[in-house]
Amino acid sequence: MDMPATKEATAPAEPVATGTESDVIIETRNLTKVYRDFWGRQKVRALKALDLEVRRGEIFGLLGPNGSGKTTTMKLLLGLLFPTSGRALVFGKDASDVAKNERIGYLPEESYLYRFLNAEETLDFYGRLFDMPAKLRQERIRELIGMVNLGWARRRQLKEYSKGMARRIGLAQALINDPELIMLDEPTTGLDPIGTREMKDLILRLRDEGKTVLMCSHLLADVQDVCDRIAILYQGELKELGRVDRLLTVQDVTQIQARGLSPEAQAEIRQVIAQHGGELLSMDNPTSTLEELFLNIVRDSEARPGRRAQEKR
Amino acid sequence: MVLEREILPFWVWLLPRVDSDGVLHLGALLLFFLIVVGLAVVSVFLGYLRMMILQGPGEGFYAVAKSIATAISRDFPQTRMGRILAMARLAIQESLRRRVLVAFFVFAVVLLFAGWFLDPQSDHPARLYLGFVLSSAEPMILILAILLSVFSLPNDIKNHTIYTVVTKPVRASEIVLGRILGFCTILTFMLVVMCAVSYVFVIRGLDHTHTVHLDDMVPLGAAGDEAVSWTGETSRDAHHRHEITIGPDGFGQTDRQMDHEHSVWIVGEGDDQQVMIGPPRGALVARVPIYGTLRFKDRTGRPGQGISVGKEWTYRQYIEGGSLAAGVWTFDGITPERYPEGYLPLEMTLGVFRTYKGDIVSPVLGALTVKNPSTGLSSEPIPFGARDFVTLSHQIPQQLRAIDADGTLRDVDLFEDLVDEQGRTEIWVSCEEPAQYFGMAQADLYIRGPDRSFAWNFVKGYMGIWLQMIIITCFGVMFSTFLSGPVAMVATFMVYMVGMFKEFIMGLATGELPGGGPVESLLRTALQMNITIELDMGPVIDRVVPAIDRVLLFFMWVAATIFPDFGVFNTSRFVAYGFNISGHLLAQQLVMAGAFVVVLSIYGYFFLKSREVAA
Ligand SMILES: Nc1ncnc2c1ncn2[C@@H]1O[C@H](COP(=O)(O)OP(=O)(O)O)[C@@H](O)[C@H]1O
Ligand SMILES: [Mg+2]
Repeated sequence: MDMPATKEATAPAEPVATGTESDVIIETRNLTKVYRDFWGRQKVRALKALDLEVRRGEIFGLLGPNGSGKTTTMKLLLGLLFPTSGRALVFGKDASDVAKNERIGYLPEESYLYRFLNAEETLDFYGRLFDMPAKLRQERIRELIGMVNLGWARRRQLKEYSKGMARRIGLAQALINDPELIMLDEPTTGLDPIGTREMKDLILRLRDEGKTVLMCSHLLADVQDVCDRIAILYQGELKELGRVDRLLTVQDVTQIQARGLSPEAQAEIRQVIAQHGGELLSMDNPTSTLEELFLNIVRDSEARPGRRAQEKR
Repeated sequence: MVLEREILPFWVWLLPRVDSDGVLHLGALLLFFLIVVGLAVVSVFLGYLRMMILQGPGEGFYAVAKSIATAISRDFPQTRMGRILAMARLAIQESLRRRVLVAFFVFAVVLLFAGWFLDPQSDHPARLYLGFVLSSAEPMILILAILLSVFSLPNDIKNHTIYTVVTKPVRASEIVLGRILGFCTILTFMLVVMCAVSYVFVIRGLDHTHTVHLDDMVPLGAAGDEAVSWTGETSRDAHHRHEITIGPDGFGQTDRQMDHEHSVWIVGEGDDQQVMIGPPRGALVARVPIYGTLRFKDRTGRPGQGISVGKEWTYRQYIEGGSLAAGVWTFDGITPERYPEGYLPLEMTLGVFRTYKGDIVSPVLGALTVKNPSTGLSSEPIPFGARDFVTLSHQIPQQLRAIDADGTLRDVDLFEDLVDEQGRTEIWVSCEEPAQYFGMAQADLYIRGPDRSFAWNFVKGYMGIWLQMIIITCFGVMFSTFLSGPVAMVATFMVYMVGMFKEFIMGLATGELPGGGPVESLLRTALQMNITIELDMGPVIDRVVPAIDRVLLFFMWVAATIFPDFGVFNTSRFVAYGFNISGHLLAQQLVMAGAFVVVLSIYGYFFLKSREVAA
């Protein structure tokens, strides 16, 4: 993934708030999934009445601990699973409509690829599924293999690939059709720190190219670094939804960070706070507040199960 | 060769008709549509039942309607060859990685050790060789077809590799068709190689020659100094020897041994003269039988039925010797143009049933008569000696002698006097020895038309296997869209078994065969009760058991009706016995296989489409 780090270059895109139909790429209404066993008995309520909207050009993150229903949501959106109730719409079409897949790229949780194919054969196969003309396909394969730095292993069967290499070829496979919407399920698992960084840069670059990205992760850092908006899922319920920067702003807490203050100056500031009836909490380095938010949600929902999120704007 | 089923001309087979007894036959096409409609109704109903349980009556109805609408309006029209080929390529790559080509090795080994099973002293070595290669190629390729087709999709689903496939714009129909195409391609390749190898194996296996020295030949009737003919015997090779006759022109041939003969000729001059013997001829043939229609005269000479002897197969009826009973074949289109050699080449294979078995070695005497159906003029009886199911060849010459109404014999011409205006003639066969019986069926006596190419007939025999292989592959892929690999394998195997024993199951289901249904037979087996005695176990069991059996038999009947009849596809006997596989039969096979491909692909599509691949 030899591309310049683009994070600094781009401010998170403001989602267009007009909300016209074409700007809503993904929409779920009351989406619910209950896994059943062979006899139709209820096994797991994996997703409970999820309402979401993902708009054009944003990076949307689904965040939640393991087993919270992120992958389930993604599979429902892709038509790999059928909703128990509610609807999943992608590009305004039902998730079961195959034609929508022309414009979608999907990287599954693990790289589920044919182990007997090599990298080139793999990409060639997926390219053929898009009915891509041979010339375009060859070009695209070369480009993508270069992008994921697998040129040296392009003739090796995938069964010889390490987890990180498989992840990269999985990503290349997801991008073969130059999709408008990219769904990435835990994109950084199995990657080393450099790989993780590159993956994040790539996600940002895709957004800059005008694509919409839906990713899910249980890693706060991933989401915090790249996502414009996030939804926090816990045990199949939506707990928080909103812009990352707003979610992270704890409204009734002011953090003060400064350098080179003399003890006198600090005393003075304390005084000012006291004058305004405030109470100084700390003047330490702030903790990762997303983590805090997350832990709060977990604590909160254990105390008051069933509380649902309101979008914070 | 016993032809248990009449091969109907293709159009007669395909279209509805009323036969001479006034019985309506639906014909394959109408039957196919009825089955398809029946299947469609039942399938939609079952689909609705399932969706209703899952989603409630209203939603369920909507779901079923929508999936049918999607299929017809979008998925079927949007199916693209490019994507089917991509899936097919993948299936081929997968098969190669699974080392299917090892099967070649197995086949080669089977052929190598074939010598152990093939009796070299058989009277019909060609039959043995051909039967062997075809009947070992068939199960091999079919088992391979089952193994290949049945595990692929379930493995994809189990390994989740299906996720990255179905999230591409590939239609379920393309996944199913691509798999069928891919597996059929690789299996076809294997079958072609097997066909070629086994052809060479048969030719090489039957090839032999003999030697003979001119000195050992006996000159016959020296008519001058040069024009002399000879007789003699060849050396013993390949477990037989021939008698030779060589004419004055230096050419001749051997007698017929083990279904073949050799050409013989003399080369060289004076002391260098040598007898040359050509390769075996006549063992590998594709004879074209021209069938007539058979009716019987009873022992008083009136039109009637033959008799069924004991529990013999009713297909063949018997006529009594020493009576007026006869089998009468009527043949059409007998013209000198069609038979320019000036004779009618007949071949006849009769069943011989002896009520006393004093001398079972010598043949039972019978007689052939040729009769003009309009004038009633009939030829002098031509005697023959029949052995049980031994094929006799008879050339009915053009110049015959007939018995006039006043009892005088006169010379007649076959085509002019014994064939009527419509070109029809009758061949009457009777048995001359009292208390002996001849068994005959329509296919037992025929006029032998010009032979066709044996190689092409061999290929046609393999085509029957090929079509079975395609059907089995379709079943395997179809089952694998909703069953796990091992279960799909068992299911496909069951289809194969039902298809092989279709007639037997039909007989059970329609009550033609005794012994009752599965439960009753189980009871009878457990109680060691003969199938001919009445079931008598109290009023309850006597009622309940047949009732359960009726239901089970109904399902067996349904299965046997809709499953393929592999008997129709198994034409190895034709090849082995040297009969041409008629184009009509081949056309029927092709149409049937095509119908299965279409229906099974559609089922595969719906099963795959309605399945949560990630569940
Ligand atoms: N195929 C399945 N059958 C039954 N339960 C499942 C299946 N897949 C996931 N689950 C359950 O659904 C819940 C949500 O799973 P998942 O969506 O995979 O979580 P996440 O991706 O957030 O880790 C979990 O409790 C999991 O055990
Ligand atoms: Mg997951």
